[in-house]
Amino acid sequence: MKLILPDRSIRAIDPGPATVEAILEKEGINPLEVMVSRDGKLVTEDTVVSGDDELRVIRISHGG
Amino acid sequence: MSLKPARSGDPACSLCGEPAVIHQRHAGRHLCGTHLIADIEQRVSETIASRQQIVPGDCVTVALSGGKDSTALLLLLHRIFGSRKDIRLVAVTVDEGISGYREATIRSAEDLVKRLGVEHITVSFWEVFGDSLDTLLKGRETQACSICGILRKKALVVGAEQAGATKLATGHNLDDEAQSVLMNVLRGDLTRLVRDSGADSGGRFIPRIKPLMYIQEKEIATYLMVQGVWSDLPECPYAIHALRREVRSMLSAIEYQHPGTMLRLMENKKVVGTAFLGKTAGEPVGTCRECGDPCSGELCQLCQLRHSFLR
Repeated sequence: MKLILPDRSIRAIDPGPATVEAILEKEGINPLEVMVSRDGKLVTEDTVVSGDDELRVIRISHGG
Repeated sequence: MSLKPARSGDPACSLCGEPAVIHQRHAGRHLCGTHLIADIEQRVSETIASRQQIVPGDCVTVALSGGKDSTALLLLLHRIFGSRKDIRLVAVTVDEGISGYREATIRSAEDLVKRLGVEHITVSFWEVFGDSLDTLLKGRETQACSICGILRKKALVVGAEQAGATKLATGHNLDDEAQSVLMNVLRGDLTRLVRDSGADSGGRFIPRIKPLMYIQEKEIATYLMVQGVWSDLPECPYAIHALRREVRSMLSAIEYQHPGTMLRLMENKKVVGTAFLGKTAGEPVGTCRECGDPCSGELCQLCQLRHSFLR
């Protein structure tokens, strides 16, 4: 699975079927502070992802 | 970003079964993009109506930095009141002069007002205070948010007065408001804790209203994303110095583990405010002896700043 982090760094991970929440937790990211897309579509943190999914983590900038 | 789903087995909207884009943990439900938009518009309309934030005849200036909260605020107010002849909307953008940060959000603000056809006023720190924030803050970076907050407030009032405003709307969301409650508790500042800046001022100052005060930051970001108006703009470079940053991180973690914490903090503020009504200063009751602006002491915060370093 391809994981694109807010700093645009890209990581290959293989967590097996896992929730977005579990993946974020492993990265030390609070799901309330980001949005996550899978293959370009927004998903919720309790979505199960796996295989060749591409996950992009979008940081919600504060203020404004 | 598409509103259309992803795959079968994905969490579905509790209202229509379409794929969900947000999990509203405080409400115990999932929503799709269409229902998230409807939900936010309804909750904002309810906040405005129940608190009488906007009434017929109002000229509402919307503090528009161009960031996500103020963008959502202007979109929502335009959607709710844009066709009303008895309510006027004017956007006010403050250019503090923060190099490498403000330029992008100002461009975003200009694009939005152009697209919506909303009147727009820009006020710069240069015009009002004679210099940019970057220059004014030299050597005082650790106080950036406190100083900028005081200066921004004044610059917004200048813009609102230019527009002939009766209300000044800001994009403070639930996270911001809950953080403020907690920060005031941590500072032991009861006066600020119970202050209601939206209260009727009897004409002494332009009441400030916060229509997004019950909408979570993540809901706002998702609201913009599903409409294709999300921009990944930078954060203010001075925010690293703020106590708020620490409180935000802590409170956000607690909210995730214990959904509804932020709403309960807001409820607590209301209860404390009611209990202390009349026993502590609410909105400023005095007048600054130097500039004549409303304030709670002898000198307003801006004049105190002027004494310390402004020209």
